[in-house]
Amino acid sequence: MTQELQIELNGVDKHYGAFHALKDIQLAIPKGAFVALVGPSGCGKSTLLRSIAGLETISGGEMKITDEVVNNVPPRHRDVAMVFQSYALYPHMTVIDNLTYSLRLKKTPKAEARKIAEEVAATIGLENLLDRFPRELSGGQRQRVAMGRAIVRRPKVFLFDEPLSNLDASLRVHMRKEIRALHDRLGATSVYVTHDQIEAMTMADHVVVMRAGVIEQQGAPLELYDRPASQFVAGFIGSPAMNFVDGVTNADGTAVTLEIDGAPELKLPRQVACNQKVTVGLRPEHLSISAAGQGTITTKISVIESTGSTTYVGAGDTGKITIVLSERRDISVGDTIDLSINAKDIHLFDPHSQMAI
Amino acid sequence: MMTPHLNRIYLGAAIVFAIIYLFPLYWMYVTALKSGSEIFAYPPTFIPKDPQWGVFSHVWEVRGMGRFIWNSLVIATGTMILVAGLGTGCSYVLARYRNIWIDVALFLVLMLQVLPASLMITPLFVGFSAVGLLDYPRFAVILAVTAKAMPFFVILVRATFMAVPAELEEAALVDGNSRVGAFVSVVLPLARNGVLVSAILIFMQAFGEFVYSKSIIQDVNLQPASVGLNAFMGPNTVEWNNIMAYATIYVTPILAAFVLLQQRIVAGLTSGALK
Repeated sequence: MTQELQIELNGVDKHYGAFHALKDIQLAIPKGAFVALVGPSGCGKSTLLRSIAGLETISGGEMKITDEVVNNVPPRHRDVAMVFQSYALYPHMTVIDNLTYSLRLKKTPKAEARKIAEEVAATIGLENLLDRFPRELSGGQRQRVAMGRAIVRRPKVFLFDEPLSNLDASLRVHMRKEIRALHDRLGATSVYVTHDQIEAMTMADHVVVMRAGVIEQQGAPLELYDRPASQFVAGFIGSPAMNFVDGVTNADGTAVTLEIDGAPELKLPRQVACNQKVTVGLRPEHLSISAAGQGTITTKISVIESTGSTTYVGAGDTGKITIVLSERRDISVGDTIDLSINAKDIHLFDPHSQMAI
Repeated sequence: MMTPHLNRIYLGAAIVFAIIYLFPLYWMYVTALKSGSEIFAYPPTFIPKDPQWGVFSHVWEVRGMGRFIWNSLVIATGTMILVAGLGTGCSYVLARYRNIWIDVALFLVLMLQVLPASLMITPLFVGFSAVGLLDYPRFAVILAVTAKAMPFFVILVRATFMAVPAELEEAALVDGNSRVGAFVSVVLPLARNGVLVSAILIFMQAFGEFVYSKSIIQDVNLQPASVGLNAFMGPNTVEWNNIMAYATIYVTPILAAFVLLQQRIVAGLTSGALK
């Protein structure tokens, strides 16, 4: 990956009347990168994508695509392609007409346009469906046509707006890999919006977590997982979500006492401020069940959900702490268990600012 | 759950109402075919004893119906083209943007629909007279009927445009089209059914228009069939069979067209163009 920038956002703001949808967005996307924008609904990720496409006009700041300021450039002159959540296939056109629509607008000769579209169709397995109408296709096929329509144009940037959310679970997992493979093959720059952190983690080189119009944190997927900058990011990245338990650091700041039954004390990997209230984050997959008397947290099992490959155990009175086990254990609801965790896997957050300590 | 018994009662009621509603139409047809004495016979006959089929060509000749019908067609076609031409763009804008001014505009459009033609005709007549439009009376009527029919068209077609997802248009914009281009190549084809059906309804409405034509068009040669029918009926009229024959010739084509198209009309108005 080169360091040449494809998309650059400097202090981008977007207002809808009194509503501040995007707040001072700073984002630099290198050429060839696959960037995922994630966040809960209403966080502004789709607005950001639509602003890059030119479908929304930004209210402030500067947006560049390959070093050209595009703040007031209409979508058709931005050389970006977009795959919509609803696919937005033109219902009155056949698959081949959908694929060649942009080429026809560029006055590409008919035969040539058809040839390009046929090549693209062949690479994504649509070659037998060219004369069908979108209504005659399955969800997965429509999704491919939407992708094909974007690929045919060979744009600078691909924009994806939750393209997989209307597919069933197994197809979604499959298309995830396919989109990423396509991205690598075309060497394009992609911006991918999703609310599914697993999609973001598995597909992207660079993940941008958004909340309420603000970028909470951005970085490589594992960086976000290992070093979340805030309690929000920590809870959003990772599945099942991180456990949060209130606690107080001890007199010399090397351990934390959890405010749950038995007041267990966890050793910290490094020294922090002493006698401070903190929120302790423990990932379910980092907790393990130890033999009685050997763990640090003693608790009772209240829920067991087994999927076969993994077992989700809820511990504490209301299943407050979730534990993920990848091996089968001889446990049942009501058992008293001991949990342990490596000191390096403990996350601490300030309960007021919610930022990582 | 509706019981079969209750179902039958509803069906019966529907048939009774349909008969009451359609009876005048039936009476028009049978009266046209009756001879003069049979029309006034008591008790009335429901099926003409000696149908007078010649009455239609007779009325057509005597009343010069070709000219009347032609004028009706000119007015209806002109109105339809003008309404569809001006109203389609207007409906699209009213469908795509949401703000307070759009609501105000919609309210005003509906207000226009509320005003009766008989109220509007006096100011229109004076206004048209002032600008010399009365020298082109059929065009003046087309303008007046267009204004009257526009709200109806705008409301119907706006609903059609609202059924076309904005994302399709956005896809066209990103694919390299302009706003106008996206409207013409994507939105309009998808709204075609709704626009066509609404235009046909406007045509039918204008074909039967009476108030404006009667007031504005003085020259008999330029009057539409509705005014011609009115002139046929004097205070001492006895030729009811001829009048009914005239009415039959006037409404049957439009009625037939409606019956033939009704399934598509209903479908075009209720379902979106999309599937």
